[in-house]
Amino acid sequence: MHILRAVTTAGAAICALAAFLPGIANAGPAPKRTVGLVVTSWFTAQYNTPHWEECPEGAAIGNDELWLRSLPQDARIKKTDGGKVQPVDGARKQQAVVRGPNGEDVCMNPTVVNDPPLRIIKGKFGYGFNLDGTNDGAPTSKSCKHDKFEDPDTGLKVDNQTYRTLGCILGWRNGNYMEGHPNGERQDSGRGTILIEVTDVDDLENDPDVTVAFYGALDPMPKDSTGKILPFASYHVSGTPQYGAKAKGRIENGQLTTTPVDARLPLYGNNYTGDMFLKDMRLRVAMPKEGEGAPVKALLGGYYDFNKWWDYIQKIEFLLVAGQWNCPQIYQAAKQLADGYPDPKTGECTALSTALTMEALPAFIVHPKNERTVAEAPEPEKKTQLAQGQ
Amino acid sequence: MRIVAICAAASIAALVAGCGKQEPQTTGTPPLVRQMTEVQYRAVIADLFGPDVKIAGNFYPTPREDGLMAVGASHATITPSAFERYDKLARLIAAQVVDASNRDMLVPCKPAAVKSADDACATVFFSKVGRLLYRRPLNQDEVARQVKLATEVTKTTGSFYDGLAAGLSGMLVAPDFLLIGDLVETDPNDAARKRLTGYSIASRLSFFLWNASPDDALLTAAEKGELYSERGLAKQVDRMLRSSRVEAGVRALFADMFGFDGLARLQKDPLIYPAFGLSAADDSGEQTLRTIVDQLVVNEGDYRDLFTTRKTFLSQPLGLVYRVPVETTSGWEPYEFPVGDQHVGIQSHLSLLALYSHPGRSSATLRGKAVRELLLCQKVPDPPANVDFTLVSDSSNPVHKTARARLSAHSTDPSCSGCHKLMDPIGLSLENFDGAGQYRATENGEKLDTSGELDGVPFKNPQELGTAIHQNAALNSCLVNRVYAFAGGHTPQPGDRPLLDYIEKKFVADGYRLKPLLRTIATSEGFYAVGGTATGTAEASVKP
Repeated sequence: MHILRAVTTAGAAICALAAFLPGIANAGPAPKRTVGLVVTSWFTAQYNTPHWEECPEGAAIGNDELWLRSLPQDARIKKTDGGKVQPVDGARKQQAVVRGPNGEDVCMNPTVVNDPPLRIIKGKFGYGFNLDGTNDGAPTSKSCKHDKFEDPDTGLKVDNQTYRTLGCILGWRNGNYMEGHPNGERQDSGRGTILIEVTDVDDLENDPDVTVAFYGALDPMPKDSTGKILPFASYHVSGTPQYGAKAKGRIENGQLTTTPVDARLPLYGNNYTGDMFLKDMRLRVAMPKEGEGAPVKALLGGYYDFNKWWDYIQKIEFLLVAGQWNCPQIYQAAKQLADGYPDPKTGECTALSTALTMEALPAFIVHPKNERTVAEAPEPEKKTQLAQGQ
Repeated sequence: MRIVAICAAASIAALVAGCGKQEPQTTGTPPLVRQMTEVQYRAVIADLFGPDVKIAGNFYPTPREDGLMAVGASHATITPSAFERYDKLARLIAAQVVDASNRDMLVPCKPAAVKSADDACATVFFSKVGRLLYRRPLNQDEVARQVKLATEVTKTTGSFYDGLAAGLSGMLVAPDFLLIGDLVETDPNDAARKRLTGYSIASRLSFFLWNASPDDALLTAAEKGELYSERGLAKQVDRMLRSSRVEAGVRALFADMFGFDGLARLQKDPLIYPAFGLSAADDSGEQTLRTIVDQLVVNEGDYRDLFTTRKTFLSQPLGLVYRVPVETTSGWEPYEFPVGDQHVGIQSHLSLLALYSHPGRSSATLRGKAVRELLLCQKVPDPPANVDFTLVSDSSNPVHKTARARLSAHSTDPSCSGCHKLMDPIGLSLENFDGAGQYRATENGEKLDTSGELDGVPFKNPQELGTAIHQNAALNSCLVNRVYAFAGGHTPQPGDRPLLDYIEKKFVADGYRLKPLLRTIATSEGFYAVGGTATGTAEASVKP
């Protein structure tokens, strides 16, 4: 049996040793292990059929098309070379997004236009977690009334209103621009990399009580000569104290599932730098096999704070054309489809159920000295030194 | 012969104490001329002009002979095209030395006018630089020749510094610089004997212990004749061994011994070994050399422990290969493989495992041969010319799934089995590491049997192989032979045997430590003895 243990390197912090040390012979009772994973790619979990049956109204209409429709015929002819669709250059893209009645940017001001409703997912199937605990989507203290999806693999009722909102937009469907581009950015830059650390592991196949922590990484992902991410790389944990949320978990038949936890995860993609704010976040991941560097699949879900989510969407407006979407329609649809954390005063839900499919590789997670987790992070200073002096 | 004190007893204690009387006489070695290696050239230039002076160019590889380039350098030739490369390098280096940004630091005087010749300043420059380049003072004629050349160039170009550069580049391609020659002179105490000149002793010492030219202190000691006395020689040897520069000498010794020049040309199939990138190849040799320096120089530990140690140094690219955490984001950090891990000893390092493998598969034979030849100095005959390697190289053979199975089938040929018995039991234990050094328990789904034996000592796995190497007596005699050959630039001859036996006994008595071994050789009388016949023996002509 292989053993795994924490390793101390001279003059440095403890390495939380991830993955498995290969080539170790039997050396007595195995201590608890730590398994590390680096998330190499992630995307909104989607159930896409080849012929778009889940989108009976067809593909969502992009901002560019709506802008063209809004133009008088003579202007349309002039701007489109006789009505022919032309590649959208930078100048026209700018014209298209500032189509508010007073020239407003409709991503920054999504309510100034009255676009037709977004074409959303109407299908039965979807991937995610049952976040509200219901099978019918009836309102609860933590959720608003909504439609449930059925997981095509398990038959369980699940929530994923993010998929319902975005699933009929061409650029957001599996394998399109919004999946490949930001993942490539994360892999190339080393920014926004999510680390998952599973500690207190007795048995990789079955263990009723493990701890799972979620961190941001500081290091780029090393690649081989073909561009594939290499397993068993060492990643340093970001010192940002707001990361590091911890959940309890259990492993059954090699599948790890966590209990819900509120978490903040690093988000980078499409030239956007920020964080994901997920409430009741949970993870399901296949544990890597002993000593193997093969990628593992994971599903991460929770309620995404609407305002934070929308901040990301509106700030990547420069990809409207590449992604074939339209800000006002998404805004309106997502507001209506938001299903989590109702505002006590208005009853309007403030979060969107979401689920992300992930691919991860075994990795070593290196902790900095004096690391603080989210629970240990001090409250921000209420006053500045200058103010106190006054 | 130098006078030595009479020892009271020929005991081990006396040996340890370094009593010269215990040292057997040798027949001596014919004077040699060695070509400066690339590493030495770079070290010398960096020493003289600083590390910022760029040496942009390739060198012709030095041939390897009897396991060492240090020996091959004695038989190297400088072809016309190799000379062209030296000439190009020399011009580039000289131009940097006299460049306006460097001249204040590197030229020890300022000319009266930069547009005209200044013989006084040029004389100072060539005398000072020449002494360090040629490893001896220049005589008046040599200095005058360089000054004259500089003057003529200055007249043509109108720049004093162009003149200096022309003279300097000429010195950088001179045989006095590129060739490290043993100059001999008549022993004043015995007209029938020849001895190395003090400057030749200095060069031999310096390239042996530091892999670089003698420094000013060593040249001064040579100039004063101090290196002819046992005390004076020991004083310089001890000074050099105390210097941090001895690390460069030890690195050069083991890089040569293990053939690490091959790492620069090492290729692996990236689809088979994705973690083995160029960085890993570069770092692999450094890992082993750092481990050696730490064990043998810093900690002055037992040489044999190199083959059982779990301690090493890792960089990020190596962490990917070994699949262990590396905390440092750039550079190196110490690391100790856990107890039970099969990465034990430098023979389990990526450098040796990858170097003695094929581009797309491991090689039990090459690895076994490397252990025999590099560590134990046991020559394994080359395979017959008509050997069919088809089965051995078919690493995806559905029937013979492991290297052991393939080699077993291959070795049924009597013309092969004899040599394979020497190599394969060793190499098969290292099959736990693939062609790029990564651990594996199976090959093609079949569990690996890594048991074997080394000269009668059985082992079950790579870890126990390390112990078997550690215990092998040939390990010690091999190191002594290699160090002696490296130091003198020649393969030990039968006449050297008594001296080598003596050195080995002392090495054992000194706890198998390298530094005392270096000292024993460097202070050995026999090491400098001139004898035999050689073509081109040079009588010292320099009379500073």
